[in-house]
Amino acid sequence: MPTLGHFVLHSSAVPPLTAGDYVLEGDQQVAGGATAPYEGHLRITSPRYRLPADQLLSTFPPANSEGAFEAKLPQVVLRRRTLPWERAVDPFDRGVPWLALVLIAEGEGQLSAEVPVAQCVTPGVVLTGGNDVATGVYLGVSQTVVDKVFPTKADLALLAHVREVDIDDTELAMGDDDGFMAVIMANRLPQFDRANCAPVRYLACLINLEGQLDVLPPPSQPFTSVFQGNLIVQDLRASQVTFGQQADIQAMGTGLVQANAPLVTQVTRRTDARTAAPVAAAPSALTAPTQSARPASGASSAKASQWTYTAQQVESAVAAAPTDAARVARDVMSRDWRVGIDFAVLEKTFRFPVLAYWSFACTGAGSFETLLQGLDVGLLGTLPADPAAAARPECQPVNAGSAPPPPPPSRPDPEGTETGHIGLDYLSRRGESLRAWYRGPCTPQPIERDEPGTTPTLAHTSDQLRRVVPDGREDLSLASAFEIGRLLALSQPSIVSGLMRWRQEAFGAARAAELAALALKDVTTAPPAAGIADLGHLLGRELVLKAAADPTRVLASSRPLADAGRPLKYVTGDLDEVIAMGFGFDAAVVRKRADTVGVLAALGEQAVPLAKGGGFDKAAQTSLKATLNDTVATITADTLKTTPRPVSIAAPIRGRRAAPKAGKDDTIERDALDDLLDARTTRTERP
Amino acid sequence: MSTKTISANVMMQSVQRATATLQAVPVETDPNLGPRIITTDVRQWMARLRLLETVPFAYLVPDALLLPTESIRFFYIDRAWTDALVQGALSVGTVSSADRAQLEQLYPQLRDELDEEERLVRQPLLEAVQQGPAGPITGFVMRSRAISGWPGVHVRAYKSDSAADNAVLPESDPNRLKLLRLERLAPAVLLALFDGVPAVVHVEEPRQGIQFGVRLTESTPNNFSASVFARDRNTSTDVPGFPTMPVSFRAGAPGVIDFRRTAETFRTTPSTNMGPTMESAEYALQMLRFPYRQVFGDPNAAPPPMNTVFRPTISMAVLKADMSAVLR
Repeated sequence: MPTLGHFVLHSSAVPPLTAGDYVLEGDQQVAGGATAPYEGHLRITSPRYRLPADQLLSTFPPANSEGAFEAKLPQVVLRRRTLPWERAVDPFDRGVPWLALVLIAEGEGQLSAEVPVAQCVTPGVVLTGGNDVATGVYLGVSQTVVDKVFPTKADLALLAHVREVDIDDTELAMGDDDGFMAVIMANRLPQFDRANCAPVRYLACLINLEGQLDVLPPPSQPFTSVFQGNLIVQDLRASQVTFGQQADIQAMGTGLVQANAPLVTQVTRRTDARTAAPVAAAPSALTAPTQSARPASGASSAKASQWTYTAQQVESAVAAAPTDAARVARDVMSRDWRVGIDFAVLEKTFRFPVLAYWSFACTGAGSFETLLQGLDVGLLGTLPADPAAAARPECQPVNAGSAPPPPPPSRPDPEGTETGHIGLDYLSRRGESLRAWYRGPCTPQPIERDEPGTTPTLAHTSDQLRRVVPDGREDLSLASAFEIGRLLALSQPSIVSGLMRWRQEAFGAARAAELAALALKDVTTAPPAAGIADLGHLLGRELVLKAAADPTRVLASSRPLADAGRPLKYVTGDLDEVIAMGFGFDAAVVRKRADTVGVLAALGEQAVPLAKGGGFDKAAQTSLKATLNDTVATITADTLKTTPRPVSIAAPIRGRRAAPKAGKDDTIERDALDDLLDARTTRTERP
Repeated sequence: MSTKTISANVMMQSVQRATATLQAVPVETDPNLGPRIITTDVRQWMARLRLLETVPFAYLVPDALLLPTESIRFFYIDRAWTDALVQGALSVGTVSSADRAQLEQLYPQLRDELDEEERLVRQPLLEAVQQGPAGPITGFVMRSRAISGWPGVHVRAYKSDSAADNAVLPESDPNRLKLLRLERLAPAVLLALFDGVPAVVHVEEPRQGIQFGVRLTESTPNNFSASVFARDRNTSTDVPGFPTMPVSFRAGAPGVIDFRRTAETFRTTPSTNMGPTMESAEYALQMLRFPYRQVFGDPNAAPPPMNTVFRPTISMAVLKADMSAVLR
């Protein structure tokens, strides 16, 4: 078992038995004679026309990838280590694998749709034994392509080997179960199309060579150590364009297909509803949706617009039917190899069963190594050494005549100083066309960040960073940096708001604190008592305390408890005289008697003067009584803080009084006030 | 009780005192860096701005001739320039003179915080966070088809060439410089920034599993030859001195390798120690191609003369003569 990060290469893993049916015979000689002969039937299976999905561990280049793969050999990694040797393609050398990985560029071959497996091999070749699937895909190529591109028989054994890795090494093991995997290399380096300066799409096919080993080119091929990168092996696409227009080719194509009539009828079965657009649109006669035995008309009716494939088509097809995504992707990968090869070339064609295929595009010339070693290395500010020694173009244009290519438009070299500055045209604010110096953030020399011994300074406008150089030009490097920074910040509303918020919180709070300190410099306040939660509570408490301590100042002056009475201007002289006069007796007599019998007895002795009879008649007397009663009632009502009307207000009063009265009437002696109150309440009940 | 009016004078005094005594109050605490005086979103954006993110390319390379096709240009970062960039961004947040006066007070500390934040912009998984005061930043800008054709190249910078050629040191290794930024600005333009001045820079082909291939060289236009480095079959390592073995192709078929003939070449090369026959495992060993790593800078050799790596059109002497003539 190799250690982590290492792997071991083995040349082959040849199983003792190849795929096929075997009969196991046995007999046993024991003392009592021979037993009945044993005959067991054994079938060893192996894929033949289609690789099971779990057997494909990885491919390089990745399927549908694009890149400069010019120096890399495509390869496929298979899970079962014995897979390339499970079928005996060469009965005399079991080391020859029956699988080969061939690389076919656009227009060099044809990848068929699904056909019965009997038609997956070149007509005339019959593969005996059991098959793994009923239908398969074949690769149709011409004799030219086989001779130029396919590996020779001697190459085959060198193209397959076994790799052993640590099963815990996730990068190398790729999900393998036993740590052994078979690797099959292609024999061809993908090439960029140098003739047209265009990427080339390649189809990598894992093909079955059973029964067709002798088709491969002979081992002794002419070889070279230098190949021409702009050669083309074969391109059938040009003939495909004229396919439907030239009568003779059409006729020949028709004849060919009619000779293969069963093929067509089988294929029409394929064009059912499940076939997605890329397949149906392919103008191959084999997939033409026609039931008749005239595939030529079907092929010619395929419009060129249907050829054109867009990524959106695939995306929509995959999105519409996610379960068919793998099939759609496979159709897309094979779309450039739908040219019907049987009609396009006049030479012999061959068919090889394709077990697996994928496509990729070689989009660049050269290798990583050559590109990096050809780099022009320098410090920024260096101009190209020599315009003639410019980097080589990715591909050489087609040589048209002997005229050299037109020189690139000339332009004066930029002014680049040793300090890294570049002279640039500059339109000043006054509209003058000037030259100014500019140096970006990337400089050829190390630059001091600050003047030595100074603290970093902050510029507030870009004009603070403009510099005038002794030659009279301005150096706008830092000024433009300032402006770019300002514009970039302004372009982001979140940054603008973040800066403003930060300014308010950091600067505004500091300013407010200082302002408060200055404003309250002379104000002394008692330290807040415990339990005061916030300023509101503190203020409220202080207010109450201050108001209580000096209410006259805080609130207002108090009202006196009692008001002084009015002076009585008609009262003059001695009070006793006034009273005596009012009552109609003589004050001097009373005083005299008081000296002997006392004041009360003296007053009792005085005769009270009465009004003369006739002064009041009966009516006047009644009127006076009524007035007196009314006045008493009014005073009583005022005393009870109620009004004589309306009744609804008086009702609760009676109710309140009624409750104690019920229990206390017997114990408390009634007095005059009770009578008065009763009279009052009964009166109010009468409207 | 005396009343006090907040006059403009008081306002002015308070601003002056606030500015003079302004203490940088942390507004946030970064898990890596501790208390910070500026909020995270603004700080991170400015650190990315420091690394020239979103800065228009014409401000980095002001003339197309400075970055021709198929070239790599190394540079130092002018910190005064990136500081001016940040100052411009900060000027958005100041409204009044008071703001500016206060921002001036905070700016030195703010600048230090951004210096430390620069290293946090790019944090690869499983790499330790690096801290410390800011040093010089260097980098390169590369314009090549190697960038467009091989997306995901690896770039590493080392202070010295002590590591083995095929070793990969983590970013926290004291010998390695932290990669501050690695970005494709255009399909074929790569910008890399390093935290320090490297002695050696490695640019490595992206890894895509085990690959087989050849070294392709274009001898004359459209004519290609290929070779592989010889490997010893007994040790599975490269033969010392890196001798190469030519690869044979089938005539008339571009790119199609004549395996049998090539294998014969491999077998007859003595340093590979092949036996009398050639097997596919041995063949695969010779064809194995590891990611190519280009090394820039050779610390063992003397530094190249300045005029081979930097060719200005106006030299310092000319510039000095011009300007002194004006000054006189």
